[in-house]
Order: sequence, then structure tokens, then C-alpha cells
Amino acid sequence: MPAALLETKLFLPRPRRGLVPRPRLSERLDRGSASKLMLVSAPAGFGKTTLLAEWLAAGPAAPTDERSAAWLSLDRGDNDPASFWTYVVAALRTVEPGIGASTVALLQERQPPPIETVLTTLLNDLAAITSDIVLVLDDYHVVDAQDVQDGMAFLLDHLPPHMHLVIASRADPALPLARLRARGELVETRAADLRFQPDEAAAYLNGMMGLQLTAQDVTALEGRTEGWIAALQLAALSMQGRADVAGFIAGFAGDDRYVVDYLVEEVVQRQPDRVQAFLLQTSILSRLSGPLCDAVTGQSGGKAMLEALDRGNLFLVPLDNSRRWYRYHQLFADVLHARLLDEQPDQVPDLHRRASAWYEQHGECTVAIGHALAGEDFERAADLVELAIPAMQRSRQEATIRGWIEVLPDELVRVRPVLGIGVVGALMSSGEFEGIEGRLRDAERWLDTTSDAGQGPHGPPAEMVVVDHEELPRLPGMIEVYRAALALARGDLPGTVTHARRALDLLAEDDHLGRGAAAALLGLAAWTTGDLEAAHRSYADCMASMQRAGHLSDVLGCAITLADIRIVQGRMGEAMRTYEQALWLAPAQGGSVLRGTVLRGTGDMHVGMSAIHRERGDLDAARQHLLWSEEHGEHTGLPQNRYRWRVAMARVREAEGDLPGALDLLDEAERRYVGDFSPNVRPVAASTARVWVAQGRLAEALGWARQQGLSVEDDLSYLHEFEHVTLARVLLARHPVARALDEATELLERLLRAAEDGGRTGSVIEILVLQALAQQLRGDVPAALVPLERALELAEPEGYVRRFVDEGSPMAVLLVSAAERGIAPSYVQRLLAAFAKPEPEISPTADQGLVEPLSGRELDVLRLLGSDLGGPEIARELIVALNTVRTHTKSIYAKLGVNNRRAAVRRAEELGLLSRTRNTRPPVVRRP
Amino acid sequence: MSETHALTGDRHGAGRYEIRLQGHLENRWAAWFDGLTLTRAGDGTTLIHGPVVDQAALFGLLQKVRDIGLPLVSVTHVEPDRPDVPAIDPR
Repeated sequence: MPAALLETKLFLPRPRRGLVPRPRLSERLDRGSASKLMLVSAPAGFGKTTLLAEWLAAGPAAPTDERSAAWLSLDRGDNDPASFWTYVVAALRTVEPGIGASTVALLQERQPPPIETVLTTLLNDLAAITSDIVLVLDDYHVVDAQDVQDGMAFLLDHLPPHMHLVIASRADPALPLARLRARGELVETRAADLRFQPDEAAAYLNGMMGLQLTAQDVTALEGRTEGWIAALQLAALSMQGRADVAGFIAGFAGDDRYVVDYLVEEVVQRQPDRVQAFLLQTSILSRLSGPLCDAVTGQSGGKAMLEALDRGNLFLVPLDNSRRWYRYHQLFADVLHARLLDEQPDQVPDLHRRASAWYEQHGECTVAIGHALAGEDFERAADLVELAIPAMQRSRQEATIRGWIEVLPDELVRVRPVLGIGVVGALMSSGEFEGIEGRLRDAERWLDTTSDAGQGPHGPPAEMVVVDHEELPRLPGMIEVYRAALALARGDLPGTVTHARRALDLLAEDDHLGRGAAAALLGLAAWTTGDLEAAHRSYADCMASMQRAGHLSDVLGCAITLADIRIVQGRMGEAMRTYEQALWLAPAQGGSVLRGTVLRGTGDMHVGMSAIHRERGDLDAARQHLLWSEEHGEHTGLPQNRYRWRVAMARVREAEGDLPGALDLLDEAERRYVGDFSPNVRPVAASTARVWVAQGRLAEALGWARQQGLSVEDDLSYLHEFEHVTLARVLLARHPVARALDEATELLERLLRAAEDGGRTGSVIEILVLQALAQQLRGDVPAALVPLERALELAEPEGYVRRFVDEGSPMAVLLVSAAERGIAPSYVQRLLAAFAKPEPEISPTADQGLVEPLSGRELDVLRLLGSDLGGPEIARELIVALNTVRTHTKSIYAKLGVNNRRAAVRRAEELGLLSRTRNTRPPVVRRP
Repeated sequence: MSETHALTGDRHGAGRYEIRLQGHLENRWAAWFDGLTLTRAGDGTTLIHGPVVDQAALFGLLQKVRDIGLPLVSVTHVEPDRPDVPAIDPR
């Protein structure tokens, strides 16, 4: 958890004494406590918070029910998803300590996974709890960020039954309320419900406040305030101790001014001057404590003043049990603030400046920056932002940083090189490249000692401003790192290399993060040009730097690339060692893996190891590693693991002979593909085309080649090698059509030379295998044995099996001939034995690993449950009634022992049910 | 120049707006509403009017209206050729 969590936001408000009991509303909430969402939606001052505090304090309706309540008061800063979800976890931890450990860790990742993955870890933790939990999100109207709303919608959709959300808001949240209403999952309390009814108004004014008002007076007040609770409270305060109550009521009822304005004035005017000044000056604060008020007002006695206001019921809300922090009721604060702006506008910047200074001294930089900006002291704000950026970036609060940058005047950022480069880092790590070059140049002007530093392109020379002096020496190097990244994003490889090399020259030896970033960029550039050895060297450097910097997930990310490179080079043993060594870094390696402690990237290591086991013919081990990654959840994988897992599983299915199952997985992989800076050297579509070839679906395979614009005349490069080898396979399969075999032979010859020149032995082996098969197609077995012998020679030390076995019976025949001629006899025997091993015949309903197997139709429904389709769409797809789909779904859940769609799909994937295909497969609609 | 721009509006939603609230707001609220003009009408409503830079600023204003709890009656985009609304019942 970040250190700067405000405990006061998690404080469950205690009901005040002297509240009007409101049984009709508590009963409604009691009924609602079985539903997913309770919405309390009404304008300010309608008693939302009070109602909820009172309801929670009363405890559950039935004393046997166990219920714990967590509270979170939101503020504008929670529009940053990292902050919002961190606070949600913190609130839940007040009732369930230790919950959401992986959720918080994932939120702070350099490349956070999609919010669904992050929240799934939280939902899993919640599902493991047995008692009822109520989570109140108060002041939800401050949330307008789309990504926070999306996350909330996902959370609501997957909420376990014993978890209940309460949202208190001045505006309806952007959640699918209509759907929840229709399903009876939403209980609402709205303005009309919250308004004081005449009897409640009478009970309050005469009972609680002890004002002996006539029925007529009560009606007059109730009518004038329209049951608005805050207004009635203010009216009661105004009347307390007043001799001429009737006169007050007549005056109030006969006035058409804004009710709260009128009443606050009445209340405030009756206070001594000292109190009035205090109220106005502190109205700029969203939280109040004695010392903070003293700092802002320049007086002493703030604590005593707050306690007096609290006793006088002057709209002060305690934020903790120790009476240290309070806030004004929002309406009261707004009226006071409006008066301050009107009466003493010149004072306002000063008040904010003092508040900002106090918060800065107390280490709350976000609030300090907020006050500096509110007081339009942009210089101060810029200084504070400069100091805050590194920590904010570490806790992934880039959205907050971007918010600040939008408000800060550009000319202030321009004279602050450290701030400017911090801004560049924040923008680029959230994928924004626009305007970066200009910002880099602005910062650079100050560092360039050979020209007139500070001499802007126009205007008089300005002074350079640096607050964070430790960062200054890093700038020249970091500017080059960002230039290299910009160049790579443009596809300018020489530029990438030039800037990354310069960065390494400039960065200090102990600047591990900077050096790591530069090395990764060099590695990417080398990889993209096919210089595998250089790429490997750079990535190894990057890995070492990241390890020294303590960024272990990044170390695992480097390991994936290092292993990928070794595999292309035909050095499988080294690739395996890379994965194994990287796994040693994972803290939970080996022994029992506690929930939430698996290092992100661990899943990727297992997927990589699976692929090597598969190639070596050990399908069991391959399946086990994939299962590990699946069982430990998506959050143990880096962003690309979602698609890499499916590609690896598809290859296992292929080896099992389940080609339709492999295609389904590849289809999913394609949908989950996320690109990054690294070149996509093995596009999923090419793998799909290979399966089509194996199935004899040549028209589709040719369609793929056409669509990719591939031809035998293409210039060859490592980037497209996998696709060109696939094209050669398509051509071989076309034989004896036209000149297909000749074309394939020519292409393979060129591919072989290119792969040999690039030191890509892994590719060389595959190309040699295809050359052997091509010769065999010509009927020239002796000619076929020449490339085959070379392939065997290269492959034997690394233990390749599937490279040969996957080619099927033509290869078996060739290997028998090789054996007869005494070529690599023991290896060939092993390969032939691998051919002999029959894979179990897979029937759709047999061997599902279930007590009660799923029917064929249920399998059809299950497969569609794994898609993005909704219930009605699934019904249309299968041409059945929606109710039939529901019946099947229920039965599937029961047989799989799950209670929701996600869990069903997950369970089905574990059991390998999704890839078992019936002959009469319904067409699955693919989303564009 | 900036005046013409505010009057004619543009694709970002800049232009003059009139926000009508139920209830009378005194002039002292003008600073709270970023210096827009407040005019009270005889029917117990208040009109907040003036130039708004863009849609985001307009929504910011509406949030302020929401936060003080006054019922919103209408929001109108004022056409550039329409003369400014005559002040009714200025206090």
C-alpha cells in the first residue's frame, strides 16, 4: 500500500445523537441488503450519509446475520483508477485484513494488466469470505473517469452474492442501472424518499431540537424547505434561543432567496466576529484539523474552535474517533466559500498558499498541489509537482500527473527541465507521444552548455528552475532514452540505436533503471533487424540492470525475449535454462505458493517452458506447465501471456491431433493479442494457416497468404521468416498443382541461406525438414536424405522431437529410409518411437474428467459461453429459445460445480472441454 | 476577437449559455460561478448567463449547480444573433 493513504476517508461515520428515527428507510435498506447494489441518490443535504451511518450502526435486521461494513468517502483524486481501487482495497481491509494483496501489487505494475484482471484477483479474495460485507462508496458523484466507471461495472457484474455495494451520490452513477433494476438487483432510495415528511419534520423540530412550534409553523417551514433536511436543520439552528420564533418563520417563509443561503446567513450572523472570520477562512479546506486551521487563519486555538463548532452543531462532520479531523457539511462549506469569494477575494490565494504549505510540510503532496493550483500559485504548484512525479509514477498515478500538467502553464514547465522530463516520462508510459519532442527540446536547452542556455527562441532569457537537484544530472541520459523510444515508435531503427547508445554513454553506472531502459531499446532495435546475438547481449544487460533496480517483473519480461531468441537460434537447452534461472527470482518459487505472492511474469516462464517440453515430445510436462499458469490466474502473467498461453496450448492440441481445438485456441489468441514495442515475429494468423494446411483447407491457407501479401518473390527478412516458411508449407501442400513444388523449392533455398546467414539454426532445421519433404514429393528419396541428415545432425543435441513427428507419415517413411542407411541411428529410433505412440482418440463427451459428463448440446452452449456473446445471442446462434439456453447453462454450472459464467469457462478450459469439437459445430461468430 | 469567438461558438461547444435555476441566488454567488452574471426573475427563478469556453466548463458549472442543491429548470445555448437577455428584477 502506498504510504499516503488518508485514514479519514475510510472512517465509518457514527450517527449523531438526536436523529429522527426513519424506520421506513431503514426497512428499505434492510430489504436491499440482499441485493447487489443499493443506491442512495439525492442532492446535497438530503441526509444520505446520515441515513447510511445510522442504518449500519443499527446492525443487521436479524441478529443472527453476520455483516461487516466498510466505508470509503471518495474525492476528486479518486478519478485516478490506481487511487480509486487502492482505496477500495484499503476500505475492505478495515473489515478483512490482508485482502487484495495481489490487487494492490498489480495496480502498481509498470505495465498494469487490464482492469478486469486486476479486479478478478480482488473478486477471488472476496469470494473466499463467507460473511456478508457491505461496502459504502460515499460521494460517488465525484467520480467521472470512464475507466473507473468501467471497472465498477465489471465489479458489479461479478460480485459474489454475499458482497453488497452501497453508492451514495448526488447524481446517478454511470452504471447499468436499468439492467440491475430489471433483475431486481438494485434497491434505490431517492430524494422523494429522503425528504422529511411533515411528521418527521415535526418530530425533528419539536422533539429533537426542543422548539415548541405550532403545527402551522411546522407546516410553513416544511413547505418553504420542501422537506430538505439540511435546510430544516439550519432553520432549527437559527431559531434556537431566539425570542421571536414566529417572526423568524414569517420572514423566512416570505422570502424567496436560496434557502440555504438565507439560513446560513442567519446562523453565521449570530456568531461572534472571530467565529465568522474562522468559518469563512477555513471554507477553502476539504478537511479541517486544529493545526491546519491555525496555519490557514494565522491564529491559534483552531482545535478549541472546531470543538466549539462541533458542540454547537455547526455543520461539522467528524472524520475520526479522536476528534482530530473534521469537515464542514458540503452545503454549508459551499455557501461559506461563495461568501468568501465575494467578500474577500484578495485573501483567497493567500489562504490556499498557507494550506498548501501546511500540507507540504506534512508530506501530503497531492493535497498541497491541489491548494497551490486552486490558489493559482502555479510556480509553487510546478515546484511541488516536480518533487512529486517520481513517487507518483512509482504508484502508477499517471492520470493524476496528467491532470496537473493540463493545468500548469506551459511557460512554467519550459523553464523547469527536471519537471519537463518527468512529464515526458509520465506521458510516454501512458502511451502518449504527441508533443514529446518539443518538451525534450525545451529541457535540453538548459543542459546545452555550448549555446546560450536559457535563451529561448523568443522573448528575454529566463532563469532555469530546478527543485529536485538529484534528478538534474540524469537528464541528458534520460532525454536520449526517450528519444530512442520515440524513434522506435516511428520505426526508425538506426535512430533508436544512436540515441540508446548515447544514453548509455551519458547515464551514471548506478542509474539502473535508465540503463535498463536504454539496453532494452537497443535490444529491440537489434531484434527487429534480425541481429540476434546483439539483441541477446542487450537484453541480458537490461535484465541485469532491472535486477539491480529490483524490478523483478521486468527481469522476467527480459527472460521471455532472451529465450525466444535462443529458440530461433536452435539453442533450446539455453532457452530452458533462461526460464529456469528467471524462475529462481520469483519469491514463491518451489514450495507452497501463497495467494497474492506470485511474481508477475511467472506465468510466462511456465508457458515458455511448456513450449520447449512440447518440442521435446514431453506433452505431459507441456500440459502441466500450461495448467500451472492457468491455475494461478492471469495476474501471474505479463500482458502478452494471455495470447501466448493460447498459442502454446494450441500447439499441444495439434500434437494431440485435435486440430479444431487448436484452431479455436488460435482464434482466441488472435483476439487477445496485445502488441508492444517488440516485433511480432510469429503472427498468430500464420500459425492458423499452418493448421489449415494440416487439415487440407488449402483455399483458406492460400487466402491467408494473399491477404498478407506474401509471395515467393519477396525479399526475405527475419521479421517475416515465420510467414515465408508457412507459405512454403502451403505451396508444398498444393503439389501437384501448377509450379507449386518448384516455387516452394526455390523459396526454401533462399530461406535456408537467409537463416544460415542470420545464425538462426532453429529456422534452419525446419527449412531442411521441408526441403527433405519437397524432394520426397519429387520421388527422390536419396536427395531427400541429404537435407534430412543435416537437420538430424543439428537437432539431435537439442533434443528436437515434434519438429519431425509433427510432419506425419511422410516424415516417418523418410526416417525409416534414414535408419536403413545408418543415419543418426539412435536418434532416429527415438523419433520413430515417438511416431508410434498413439494419441488417445478424443470423442466429444468421453473422458471429460467430470462425474457427470456434459452432453453434446451442453458442450455447444459451453463453447459459446466462452465467447463474448450474451444469452439472447447464444440462443440465436444455436437456434433455440433463450430459456433452453438458460436450462443448459444451469446444468453446465451444476456439472462443473461453479456458479457463474466466468468460472464455468475457466473450469472448462482447465478440463480442456472448450477445444473438444463436435462434428456439427455451430458457427461461432467472431467479433471484428 | 475573443468576444466574437465566444459569441459565435464553435465545435467545442463554446458560446453563451443560460442556466435557469429554481430559487433566488444573490449576486454574491457570481464569483462562485466564475464571474457569470446572475439575474433574478419574477417567477422565483434565477438565470445564470454568460460566455462558456467549452463543454467541459459548462459541465463544471452544472456540477456547481448540483452541489448547492438548487433545482435546475433549463439550460439553453444562446444563438449569437440573439441580444443579451434584458435584466429582470435586478436587486
